[in-house]
Amino acid sequence: MMTEKEVIEKIRLLRQIKPEKKWVFLTKERILGKEPIFFPFLKPAFAGLLFILILFGLSFTSLPGEPFYLIKKLVERGQTVFVPEEERPKLELDLANKRLEELSKIAEKNDVKKLAPAINEAKESVAQATKNLVKSKKVDKEIAKKALELEKKKKEVEASLQTKITEENPAMVVAKYLIEDFEKRTLTKDQKQILEKAKGCFENGDFAKVLELLLTIGQ
Amino acid sequence: MDKLKKEFSKIYDKYVEKIFRFVFLKVNSKETAEDLTSETFLRTWEVFKNGNQKIENVSAFLYQTARNLITDYYREKGKAQIISPDLGRPIADPRQNLEKQAILNSEMERIRKALSQLDEDYQNAIIWYYLDELPIQEVANLLDRTVPATRVLISRAIKALREKLEKV
Repeated sequence: MMTEKEVIEKIRLLRQIKPEKKWVFLTKERILGKEPIFFPFLKPAFAGLLFILILFGLSFTSLPGEPFYLIKKLVERGQTVFVPEEERPKLELDLANKRLEELSKIAEKNDVKKLAPAINEAKESVAQATKNLVKSKKVDKEIAKKALELEKKKKEVEASLQTKITEENPAMVVAKYLIEDFEKRTLTKDQKQILEKAKGCFENGDFAKVLELLLTIGQ
Repeated sequence: MDKLKKEFSKIYDKYVEKIFRFVFLKVNSKETAEDLTSETFLRTWEVFKNGNQKIENVSAFLYQTARNLITDYYREKGKAQIISPDLGRPIADPRQNLEKQAILNSEMERIRKALSQLDEDYQNAIIWYYLDELPIQEVANLLDRTVPATRVLISRAIKALREKLEKV
């Protein structure tokens, strides 16, 4: 059982919730008009803000194994923590797509040094996306589209690297949930045919095709 | 006008973080918190510059305006006040290392979740007294209660939060 003091200490952690400096500055300007600042870049606060913006800017394009990559991951993780539970699978799929995109760029450049960290990042991210999908047990059209994009990208990267990145498969999870969902619905004759075809593709492990087919039913 | 602007500029700098945090903890969305905070200061500035209605206590006026806007927001949207989080990233501190930040974020989310499950008066009492460190008299005024009644409320609020934290 926590003491009152411990609870108060925990409450005070919330002081770290702060608005973005840029927003604070722009809102004040919007309400009160522009303040005459002649050499803003000489002010320490501006220099600090500029430095952070440059740092963030550099980090957004960085790849695994590069110095600013940690900042990029830190910012992304910061975003995921406060995203609503039901939105998390979409965000994790987006992040997994990003990791595969990074891996694809590294593979294209044949940058051997960065290849191992990039594969690990992609592997972890795809596993995280799968975990979230299994946990949420809910899929919608947007998730299906993102999972399809991820599956295609994964296949593409695996073909280029000539190796399997991971056994985890978000597309399979989404395909399974979608099939189960459509089986419970009343479908037209054509839709039933598409569903049967999709089930066949699922058996053959062609999850991208399953998603493509089932997305046509949902339209 | 310049004098008024200068004066209000100081008020803005002093309270913007507190009002943003207060709103954010109620709406759980960075964008909505930004909109409502901005509107809070805009409305206060309108009253402040016109001088028709004297603002006795700026902090109380700001919190009350923010509360009204939050109520209007939920009324318009037809939403319940307890909703799931939808935060952008107002708190990522690049100075912390990744592991520390992750632990901190998860702990903050736990507290935020527990706090959001309390009654509105309990939430406000905790935010104003422990987070924003307003004097007890001011918290009492904001809650429209006597000081002893406010002390009791704060004590109950902490107890309720502790119970929620055990469950979250």
